[in-house]
Amino acid sequence: MEPPVTGVRSAGTTATRDTMNRIRRVFITSLGLNLEEKDLPYEQKLDEISGLDSLAVLEFVTALEKEFDMAIEPEKLVLSFVRDLPRLACYIEERQGRRPGSEA
Amino acid sequence: MAYSTMAAPALKPWDSTPAAPASARRGEPWVTANDLFWCLYLYPLRLFAALAPRALLYQIGRLAEPFVQLYWRERKKDLVRRMLRSRCPGLTADEAPRIARRYVSNALFRGLDDLIISGPAFRRALRCTAVEGLDHLERAKAAGKGVLVLSAHFSANRIAKKYLATIGQPMLTVRNQLLYEGAGRLGRRFLQPRYVKFQHQLVPDEVDARDPECALKIFQRLRTGELVHILYDVQHRTAFVRGHFLGLERRLPAGTLRMVRFSGCAVVPMLCLGNSAGFRIVFSPMLNMVNAATPDEFAAANLPSFVKTLERQIAEHPAEWVLWNRL
Repeated sequence: MEPPVTGVRSAGTTATRDTMNRIRRVFITSLGLNLEEKDLPYEQKLDEISGLDSLAVLEFVTALEKEFDMAIEPEKLVLSFVRDLPRLACYIEERQGRRPGSEA
Repeated sequence: MAYSTMAAPALKPWDSTPAAPASARRGEPWVTANDLFWCLYLYPLRLFAALAPRALLYQIGRLAEPFVQLYWRERKKDLVRRMLRSRCPGLTADEAPRIARRYVSNALFRGLDDLIISGPAFRRALRCTAVEGLDHLERAKAAGKGVLVLSAHFSANRIAKKYLATIGQPMLTVRNQLLYEGAGRLGRRFLQPRYVKFQHQLVPDEVDARDPECALKIFQRLRTGELVHILYDVQHRTAFVRGHFLGLERRLPAGTLRMVRFSGCAVVPMLCLGNSAGFRIVFSPMLNMVNAATPDEFAAANLPSFVKTLERQIAEHPAEWVLWNRL
C-alpha cells in the first residue's frame, strides 16, 4: 500500500498519490487541457487552473467515473466537492475500499 | 473537446441583473414606457390578481385585447415576416396574419396566467382538460436514468409545469436569465430585480443556464431518476451544434445532447397547449437515441429527431409557439 501523501489533507482525510495522479490525468485528458500534471498541484482547486464551464465539469465527472468504474453519488455532484482534488481522491478510495486502514 | 470559459461565481436567480456599461448609461432615459408597464404589472396588477378570480381577470383581458392588438400592429407585421421567412410546414401567407393575431392574444393571456400562478392559491385557478401520454413518461421514469422532458417554448408551458408539480411530476427547468427589454436607469436598478424574482416565483424549480453548476445540477436530478425540462428551440452562444430549425440555420444547444449522452437518460417530448382556463399536456413516446462514440457523432445522429419533434409541434400549433419573434 502506498503511503498517504504528506501535506495533502482535506477535512482530516488523506489520499494516496496514485489516486490523485490518476484524477489529475483524467482532468487534463478529458478536458483536452494543454497542461502537464506537475502544473496541477494537489492543493490547487481544479477550476482555478483552467477555469471550468458547467459542461466541462460534467465531462470531467463522467470521465472520472469511467476511469474508476464507479458512479459518484448524486449528493456529491456539487462543484465545491468535485473541484477539490484531495477530497475527491479520498472519496474515490473510500468507495473502492482502498483508504489507508480500510480493507482492500 | 477543449474548454476555455472562465468559471463564474454561483448565481442566485435574482441577483444577476447586469449593470449597463458606463458608455451605455450616458444618454439613457431614467424611465421608459416599458418601465411604467412593468411597474404596473408587478405591483398593482399583481396585487389585484391575487384577490380577483380568474374569470374577472380574463374579462379584463378580453376588453384590453383590441387595444393590445392595435398597439402591437407593427410587431405583428414583423411576426408575419418572420413566419414567412421560415419554412414552417403548412404555414401560408394567408394564414400568417391570423396566426400573428392569435400569437398576440396568447401573449396577453399568458401575461395574465403568470399573474395567476405567481400567487399561492394558483391550483384552483388552473383547469387542466387532459394529460395525455402520461404512461410514456412513467415508462421513461421506470428506466431509472432520469427523464429529459423536451419541448419548445409554448404558451402554456409554465402553467402546465405548475400543474404537473401538483400531481407529483415536478421537473427542474433550465432557463436563461430573463430581463424585460427597454429598461431605463431606474427600471434597471429597481424593477429588473423585482421582475427576475417574479419569474422565479413562476418557475421556482429552476437552474440558470449560466450557473457553473448547471450541468451538475441537471445530472444530479437525472441520476436520482427525476425530470428535467429542456426548451430546445433557443439559440446558444457558446456551446452549440449548427443545425436547421424551421428551415433557418440555428446554433442549437450542444449541452443538452451531451447531457443525454453522459447520463443515458430517456428523452420524452412534451407539448402544452391552451391557457389557465383550459389547457392540455401531451407526452409523446420516448425518442430513440442513437449511441455514438464521440459527442459530435452523437449530436449528428440525434439532433434530427430533436428538431423534427419540435418542428412538428410548432407546425401543428403555430400560434402557441412563443419564439416567432426571435426566429
